[in-house]
Amino acid sequence: MTVNEVIELAAASGRHLLFADEAGALLKAAGIPVIPCRVALDEEDTVQASAEIGYPVVLKVRSSEIVHKSDVGGVRLALTDECSVRSAYREMMGTARMVDQRAQVIIQPMAGPGLEVLIGMTTDAQFGQVVAFGLGGIFVEVLDDITFRQVPLQEKDAADMLESIKGSAIFKGYRGGKPVDTNALTEIILNISRLAEHHPRIREIDLNPVITYPHGALVADARIRCFLK
Amino acid sequence: MITARPVDLQPIFYPESIAIFGVTDTPDRVGYNILQSVLFGGFTGKVYPIHPRHQQVLGCKVYKSLADVPEPVDMAIICLNQFATIEALESCGRAGVKGVICNAGGYRETGEAGQTLERRLVDTAEKYGLPVIGPNTLGIINNDGNFYSTFYPLRLPPGKVSIISQSGGIGLNVIHMAIDEGLGINKFIGVGNCSNIGFADCLDYLENDDSTSVIGVYIEGTSDAGRFARTAGRVARKKPVVVYKAGRVMDADRFTQTHTGSSAGSFRLYRDILRQHGVFTVSSVSELVAACKALALQPLPEGNRVGILTHTAGPSVVMIDHLKPAGCIITALFDETISRVKRIIGSDDPPVVLKNPLDAAGLGFRGPIYGSLAEAMLQDKNVDLLLAVYCLHKNWELPAVELLAAHKRIQKPLIVNFVGNWLGCRQDQEFLQKAGVPLFTEPEKAAVAASALVHYGTRQKGGVCCDC
Repeated sequence: MTVNEVIELAAASGRHLLFADEAGALLKAAGIPVIPCRVALDEEDTVQASAEIGYPVVLKVRSSEIVHKSDVGGVRLALTDECSVRSAYREMMGTARMVDQRAQVIIQPMAGPGLEVLIGMTTDAQFGQVVAFGLGGIFVEVLDDITFRQVPLQEKDAADMLESIKGSAIFKGYRGGKPVDTNALTEIILNISRLAEHHPRIREIDLNPVITYPHGALVADARIRCFLK
Repeated sequence: MITARPVDLQPIFYPESIAIFGVTDTPDRVGYNILQSVLFGGFTGKVYPIHPRHQQVLGCKVYKSLADVPEPVDMAIICLNQFATIEALESCGRAGVKGVICNAGGYRETGEAGQTLERRLVDTAEKYGLPVIGPNTLGIINNDGNFYSTFYPLRLPPGKVSIISQSGGIGLNVIHMAIDEGLGINKFIGVGNCSNIGFADCLDYLENDDSTSVIGVYIEGTSDAGRFARTAGRVARKKPVVVYKAGRVMDADRFTQTHTGSSAGSFRLYRDILRQHGVFTVSSVSELVAACKALALQPLPEGNRVGILTHTAGPSVVMIDHLKPAGCIITALFDETISRVKRIIGSDDPPVVLKNPLDAAGLGFRGPIYGSLAEAMLQDKNVDLLLAVYCLHKNWELPAVELLAAHKRIQKPLIVNFVGNWLGCRQDQEFLQKAGVPLFTEPEKAAVAASALVHYGTRQKGGVCCDC
């Protein structure tokens, strides 16, 4: 699917917020490395998809009614076998279908550990589209270590974003760790800028976390919000 | 102005004839003060005060309405209340006036009714394609054309720095500090509510205004911040732009919205995005004035390597706190410079450490020696810009003559910090600044001034990368 097709499909059913699989398809179309994602029809399909993807897997609830997935037990990480997948599916659907009869699950492989960062895009009332970059998890929540640039970004802007956060030393590797692939990060940042520039209907993108490795980086979770028109 | 760009602001700044609506005969009213301001400022064009009930104010004949004015005017200043302003604006549009300043407040900053009123004002302006400064503004000054149209009668030293301010109070703060600092002002624009003419329009205008070479901006927040930042970045490639963004605290919106009806927005977005566009930002009025002064007086340095000469260490420590985060390098001096310093101070083994910052302490305060040290440092190939510190003293003369002589021989940017007070340094300020060397009495201001020069110097000419 193209970026526009994804947006149109969601808009046609009146959804601002894309499903995780739609967000994944949109990012993939934009050339951004994103963790694969499968939508399951039922429990058996979930088990089969898990086996095909390979354990450990992640189960997430897919529902237009449930915005905060983890509040309703809608995210289960690191499921290692069929048995745990089956019980996770039943628990998740048991709760989710009380809220949304049409709730489904999506299955993703569990991403390997790496340095977690956040890359985002938001439409500011004064500046319009801006791209955000920061370290993930506690760094952004507690330390508020995040930096912004106006769309469109140039290459130097993306590189400058990595350098201008307080925790930037972490990219060079710390405590004997290997340096991470900063080029992979600047590439994602620039891709997000281009994506936003060419698709003003995208209102907000939240890639958190983007897991960064010595070679490459991978979007492990994505929330994308669009304007309906 | 959203519709037609670029806007021609020339008739507002260089009018040949003006009308002033609401000229009263008492100094407690805005209209009286604007007329006085125009007259006191030495405006040479024709002035037509308008008021339905007065015959004569400050020696000028007063006209009953714009229709009674015997010739078309280039621009009008409307100092009526917020309601009457709109009718007067309509009459200006009909009469083909080319630009208007609306001083009154009482628009969107006051709430919903004001918002509706402001919409009418904007619609009227757009209907006639009439550029409007304000509303809710102190007015404008064009010192290049002796046209002072604020309601604070003033006369300012001439210069190359133009100021755009969202606030009249802070605008006056900048103006008076500029007077103290011996900094000439070219134009002042109080943009007020930015309803029709905004920051970016003013930047566009000043970019092509030959008498302006440096632009200082005080901003609280604007709805078209995206265009403002892009424009500031573009203009700054041609002439330096210095921005002071206020409204840093979390709930700043609460205060800025009732001031000029604009949200402060995210301080961090302004900081990051102005950086993205290569615009130099400051965090106080005194920094704004200091940066503009240095940029107006001195040429840009070839790079970011800074030398500091002093006879007391503290100011150099304070300076470095400002210089390093701004990307300046406290450069190492060449061996031959050190040898030369030893010869100048007449000691091969002085009780001071000879390095940059060069603190010659008791050996370096005598005028001729201080001057020679300054020259040696300026001549060092590692030094792109020199900061010279000297403390005001009852018996020791400030080395202004020596510094200027050194600067004339080696023409690299020089910033002087005479630690003292204006009474004690005023003569030196005039002497040095007339020759283009900025003098500051605080090390912080001198450091910000140097940072501004280095910022635009490295932007134009490149610099040494600093990872330390």
